[in-house]
Amino acid sequence: MPCAGRCDEPIPVIRGDQVLIGTDANDLESRPSPVPSPNPQGREECVFRHIREPDRSTIEGYRRTGGYDGLTLAVSELNPAQVIDIVRDSGLAGRGGAGFPTGVKWQAVADASGAPKTIVCNADEGEPGCFKDRAIMDHDPHAVIEGMALAAYATGAPRGFIYLRYEYPETLGTLQRAIKEAEEAGLLGERILGSAFDFTVVVRRGAGAYICGEEGSLLNSLEGRHPFPRNRPPFPVTHGYEDRPTVVNNVETLASVPHIVRRGADWYRALGLNDLAGTKVISLSGDVKRPGNYEVPLGLPLSTLLYDWAGGTGSSRSVQAVTMAGVSGGFLAGEDLDVTLDEPSIRAKGSFLGAGGIMVFDDTRDMVEIAHFAMEFFAEESCGKCFPCRIGTERLTERLAGTAGPTNLTAWLDEVNDIGRTMKAISACGLGMAAPLITESLLRYFPERVAQHVAHQARD
Amino acid sequence: MIMSTTDSQQQHMVLDGDDVGFTSGETVLQVAEREGKKIPTLCNDPRLEPFGGCRLCVVEVEGIANPVASCTTKAEPGMVVHTKTEPIEAYRKLLLELLVSENREVDVDALRGYASQEFASLVDRYGARTGRFVGSKSGSSRLDDDNPFILRDYDLCISCYRCVRVCAEQEGDYAISVMNRGFGTQITTEFNGLLNDSACTFCGQCVQTCPTGALADKKALKAAELPGAIHKTRTTCAYCGVGCSVDILTKGETMVGIHPAMDGPANLGALCVKGQFAFDFVQHEERLQTPLVRGEDGELHETDWDTALDRAAAGFKRAVDTYGRHSVYAVASGRAPSEAAYIMQKFVRAGWGINNIDNCSRA
Ligand SMILES: Cc1cc2nc3c(=O)[nH]c(=O)nc-3n(C[C@H](O)[C@H](O)[C@H](O)COP(=O)(O)O)c2cc1C
Ligand code: SF4
Ligand code: SF4
Ligand code: FES
Repeated sequence: MPCAGRCDEPIPVIRGDQVLIGTDANDLESRPSPVPSPNPQGREECVFRHIREPDRSTIEGYRRTGGYDGLTLAVSELNPAQVIDIVRDSGLAGRGGAGFPTGVKWQAVADASGAPKTIVCNADEGEPGCFKDRAIMDHDPHAVIEGMALAAYATGAPRGFIYLRYEYPETLGTLQRAIKEAEEAGLLGERILGSAFDFTVVVRRGAGAYICGEEGSLLNSLEGRHPFPRNRPPFPVTHGYEDRPTVVNNVETLASVPHIVRRGADWYRALGLNDLAGTKVISLSGDVKRPGNYEVPLGLPLSTLLYDWAGGTGSSRSVQAVTMAGVSGGFLAGEDLDVTLDEPSIRAKGSFLGAGGIMVFDDTRDMVEIAHFAMEFFAEESCGKCFPCRIGTERLTERLAGTAGPTNLTAWLDEVNDIGRTMKAISACGLGMAAPLITESLLRYFPERVAQHVAHQARD
Repeated sequence: MIMSTTDSQQQHMVLDGDDVGFTSGETVLQVAEREGKKIPTLCNDPRLEPFGGCRLCVVEVEGIANPVASCTTKAEPGMVVHTKTEPIEAYRKLLLELLVSENREVDVDALRGYASQEFASLVDRYGARTGRFVGSKSGSSRLDDDNPFILRDYDLCISCYRCVRVCAEQEGDYAISVMNRGFGTQITTEFNGLLNDSACTFCGQCVQTCPTGALADKKALKAAELPGAIHKTRTTCAYCGVGCSVDILTKGETMVGIHPAMDGPANLGALCVKGQFAFDFVQHEERLQTPLVRGEDGELHETDWDTALDRAAAGFKRAVDTYGRHSVYAVASGRAPSEAAYIMQKFVRAGWGINNIDNCSRA
């Protein structure tokens, strides 16, 4: 069963081109992905600012609250360099995982020689516990398209792709309809808004591989090659799609841009707390009363999100641990739950915020079992290009399952730590570098549970 | 020490404390190998594009947090590189321990292929037979593939993709592909079929680049039980005029296999199916040692060259006398060098006075 990106629903099932929801095979219904709820504190939003308005996914609904004003402003009054300046000054950084400053990326593509340039919207959203890009595309598809058009104008790119994960069949229809609407309105295609600016967008579907969200793999996949990550340098900004300069940006990153261009860099910067710039959408799921997507100001305490916004575990149980960056950031638990939602705070704990998926586990959950599930995911999704990750994820999965490996605790810990250290240091891409954060954090927060697991492995 | 980046001739970097020169475009691995460093590699074949998969070649570069793969990293002026630090050597050993844990066996007969000892010798160099990281095995052999040349013993495969890449990059055949991913990775052919049904031309390049012997030379392995050490003799392939260099493998007086010469000026390690595998005629019991001519009894009889050539000339002459000069036709052997082919067409044109001359090479 592939992941349908509906971690906030009971049980999603993909049948044909539909995602069905329900808890009984005979009682499944097709339900649109939920519109994100407003936050109870009334914090100002960027990406979700207008997402709840009626007909927002149509071009009329989108234009009603200033949609395409950013593009119109850029094309008629700003030169490309000015658009890049606004994005750079806003402090917007990548929302797909790595957090690279968006303005700097655009500048590099604008400066790079080679044509045609390309804008790629990374809509592969493969990270477990992340379903924010889906909400944005389902309910605000024109914001993504406008963001891509602004990126194209800023960098001089005539063509764009949306690389959409296979498991979002309804989203495909929504995007295609929105692209058609934009083309008919002269907002995509040739001579956009009567200017000399041309830009076309095509949707390409992935084929169900997490690794295709990694930008090098994504570009190989787009080109029809085997999707191994590419060696870096060179980076996509100079050698991207067809070895030409390419912007690869996440859905949320791109959907933020129209608001930023329209309202200005200072407005966006000021949305964050404690000198942090802007907002981040968090996909919250697991043992939590009100799961869903929340747009938080960067710097918001995790506890505020968990308890004040999402209602805590919704039971008498306490929060035992949360994952970060979907599962790529491993776990936070105990006193380390006292973080604020931003990279500096979370990285100081050895994890990262990344794409912003947070899964909550209450104190009834077996963390070794959860760690095993997470590692099994990485082992299943490892592309197999590099030795440390291809074999390492498998060996860690076996040790967490208790099906192979030492029965002596010291030897077990030596093996798990040695593999983890090596994977983190020398894997060829972020998947293999991040996967050992699962075991590292498990050992840090739950040493007794691990000792118990090692002592009680059922082995023939 | 730090030189201008525009000077492409004389650039300098620091390698394990020594100032070394390099030319722009060289990789750190290339520079290090030239300087005599023994950086371990398994996914690298110098004839192929750098791949960056095995990670054994990682080195530390000052100013970069994580070690980098030296095979894919270009040398930069002023770069300060350490090729053999304690952590780096520990990572390398651990990778080799992991590889040992996924394979049925490490030690294989050297007759399997040119590079077949690479893996075992690195395992020995790093003392990686520790028995750590026990777990499931990867890859499954295709012993059902009964082609006469290439053994597909994927139980021994470490997914370095050299076979896939040599087939694509060197041969342009794309016969070998990758199925599944991660630990389930399986080297295969289109539709998971047999080599005979794929685009494979049986050039054997995959066999010769495989660092584990997972792809192996079936014909050479027939001599595995033959006593004696393998002796190599450098010569030129006798099949055609290209002049590929080969090393003939012998055990005692018996010819057991062929390796392409990686430094052969005409082939740089490449061979075709004939040069690679079709060597057994040399010592075949049915090989003709003298010319034969047909006797009055209708049977073939051994004779000397003068007699045989006289008989051939008489036959041609009779045909020309009876049916005219256009009744004869000559096909030069593709195994003949250019000079012999030239003499042949000269003989046909000047001797027979016709243009009925062709060559069997149709490659
Ligand atoms: C294994 C792996 C999977 C990834 N998956 C995604 C993804 O699904 N969506 C995404 O936007 N970025 C993903 N990324 C990050 C991309 O490589 C890239 O950094 C990002 O798309 C850049 O866009 P941004 O700067 O707007 O974040 C992934 C990275 C790795 C290593
Ligand atoms: S780290 Fe894993 S996913 Fe990334 S290149 Fe290596 S094997 Fe592939
Ligand atoms: S068969 Fe040999 S060359 Fe091919 S991937 Fe496996 S180990 Fe490498
Ligand atoms: S030789 Fe560099 S990664 Fe394999």
